[in-house]
Amino acid sequence: MLPYILLAFLNGMIIGTSRAVNGRLSTGIGPFRASLWNHVVGFLFLTLVLLVMGDWKFDDAGSAPLSAYLGGFFGALFVAVNSYVFPRLGAMNAALLVISGQMVTAVLIDFHNRNETPGALRILGVVIVIAGIYLSRVTSAAREKGKGND
Amino acid sequence: MLGRSKDWLLGIAGGVLLALMTNYNSLLAKHTSSVFGSWVAHGIGAVAALLLVLVAARAFGAGGGERKEKRAKAPFWVYLGGIPGAFTVMLAAIAVNSSLELSGTIALMLVGQVLFGIVSDYFGLFGTPRRRLVLADFFVVLSVLTGSALIIFGGA
Repeated sequence: MLPYILLAFLNGMIIGTSRAVNGRLSTGIGPFRASLWNHVVGFLFLTLVLLVMGDWKFDDAGSAPLSAYLGGFFGALFVAVNSYVFPRLGAMNAALLVISGQMVTAVLIDFHNRNETPGALRILGVVIVIAGIYLSRVTSAAREKGKGND
Repeated sequence: MLGRSKDWLLGIAGGVLLALMTNYNSLLAKHTSSVFGSWVAHGIGAVAALLLVLVAARAFGAGGGERKEKRAKAPFWVYLGGIPGAFTVMLAAIAVNSSLELSGTIALMLVGQVLFGIVSDYFGLFGTPRRRLVLADFFVVLSVLTGSALIIFGGA
């Protein structure tokens, strides 16, 4: 159990590293080109992995609905948007804002997919996340005002 | 002030995009495998990003790659962000298949991301500005992680 806990935790740190590196690239060549590099390099890396594993699933790919292929498009937009804001917001704030948008949207997507109202605990979770982000906005706005412009 | 609000809204919009991406990518992974699904998603994402670069170049003029003078100075590793990004797919697949399951894996990954953010801000890693934690940050982190835990473990 403990190795898996550490693995999942480490994975979160690796995600942060990837976003920080892409954010750094974005300041040099712009967010859209950063997203392009991220996807091309990731694609080449996964090609190597699949070559080593020999785990190609072309036969199964046809059984997936067409909407399953939309993920790449949202991924390209996500990396561009996140790389743009990452150096501007700082690593912690960027992570917190992305997590908030992600969790609240996930509740809405589940609601849509299952067509049943989220339970009381989940709704409470959404309220607490939004309250936290509101607090973050209010306090950083106060700090910005104190420091003057930007 | 207004400028910062825009960044802030874009950060949240990024989270919305990420949730949509995960929703469709997990559908693809269910029909194929996590690594093959991610390979296909990266391929489609590369084409989509190329289109975005072309559209942006047309919309904002040829200066799509702003601040070109910085380009030469950037170290080579800034181009390799896609490798840890793709690597996480495999690590997540291992953790999800353990007793942590999906919910436990996601929760720990969120904690890892926030902790990375705090450490990165403190030391100014990867060329980001250094930023000190204030007391309010503690409450924000606590709220976002507690709320997320309720969403993850709170059942349907």
